Amino acid sequence: MTGGFLSKDDAALGEAFLRDGYVIRTVEDRPALDRIQARMAALAAEALGLDASNEPKSFLDGIHRHVTPENLNPFRVKMIAGINAEPWFRRAYYGLAAQALAAIAGNELAMQRRANLSIQLPEDESSLLPAHTDTWSGDSPFEVVVWLPLVDCRSTKSMFILPPEANARAAAGLARYDGKGVEALYRDHESEAKFLTVDYGQFLLFDQNLIHGNRINREKTTRWTFNCRFKGLFTPYADKKLGEFFEPITLRPATRLGLAYKLPDGFGG
Amino acid sequence: MKSEATRVGYRAYIGSRPIHGSRTPQAVQNLVIRDYCQKNGLVYLLSAVEYTMPGCYMMLNEVMTELPRIEGMVCYTLYMLPERAERRHEIYRRFLDTGTALHAALEAQVLRDAEDIGRFEDLWLVRQALARAPKVV
Repeated sequence: MTGGFLSKDDAALGEAFLRDGYVIRTVEDRPALDRIQARMAALAAEALGLDASNEPKSFLDGIHRHVTPENLNPFRVKMIAGINAEPWFRRAYYGLAAQALAAIAGNELAMQRRANLSIQLPEDESSLLPAHTDTWSGDSPFEVVVWLPLVDCRSTKSMFILPPEANARAAAGLARYDGKGVEALYRDHESEAKFLTVDYGQFLLFDQNLIHGNRINREKTTRWTFNCRFKGLFTPYADKKLGEFFEPITLRPATRLGLAYKLPDGFGG
Repeated sequence: MKSEATRVGYRAYIGSRPIHGSRTPQAVQNLVIRDYCQKNGLVYLLSAVEYTMPGCYMMLNEVMTELPRIEGMVCYTLYMLPERAERRHEIYRRFLDTGTALHAALEAQVLRDAEDIGRFEDLWLVRQALARAPKVV
């Protein structure tokens, strides 16, 4: 496809991504991940009036002992504002998956301005994300998502995704579900949905054109996951625009020269 | 259906395609709804985002199936409801049948009983008429 121009590693990662719709890898900067997790635990403790924990992972896993479904969203919004206010956060987040992103999306990227955070309490019905693709909700088909767990995520504590082949069949028949709802779409493809196991220390990079979502968390502990979108800077945008939603993060010198260049003018014709 | 006392929250409903030719970023739609909920003492539930495909109301239908478990829905604008009047009336009926409320944040309108339908429809019908009217006089 690329005539051997890609490195062997990049080509292998790209093939896996196209085949499965996702890749799961160990984060590329473990101290940065630990810093993010520790800061989130500190922000949570502060918001709840609790002492800071020395074991952030188990503290976050057990947050349902302190947060109810009724006050979950204000708490979540406070957590998002707190971590996005850290000047180092977005650089750290990007650094967790920089090489994989370069292989999959390119080395001149736009990054979502504010990473989202999902907190899913055990047995909570109010924070469900029904089966969807981001593209159906206004994202560009050129985007990919880096999904980052702060706790170990598996089974219903994680997200599901439809593999590319099943997704193609489901998407082709989508209009049939107008009136029946996306829950019916999920039920009809439930057996093909794959719940991804992504442990703390790993990230998931997935194709948001594939149908994905979550179900009620039937595990005993709380899910904490970030999601943040990346795309090639010069690829087409949809409803999520450059500036209001995305920001350039890795502009290269040749591009800067090109953006600033003006042809000589003043000719009389 | 849950009893009215045990239902909690209003599902926010925002769009990802232009409404009558006008586009509002999703973040701004969410801000308007959050502000409306805060001012009116409503518990905000995370937004359902309508799909971008023209004429598609799958997410709205999804919220309709959720109505028996919640207090109602807050849409960004009432002009996000279906273009076809009969489809809008089906939506109104679902709210009335489940004893839930439909709020439109931008217009600060609320539909709680059959009499409120007239106000929603007046706004809709005038808007549709204006869209067909000559733009230059």
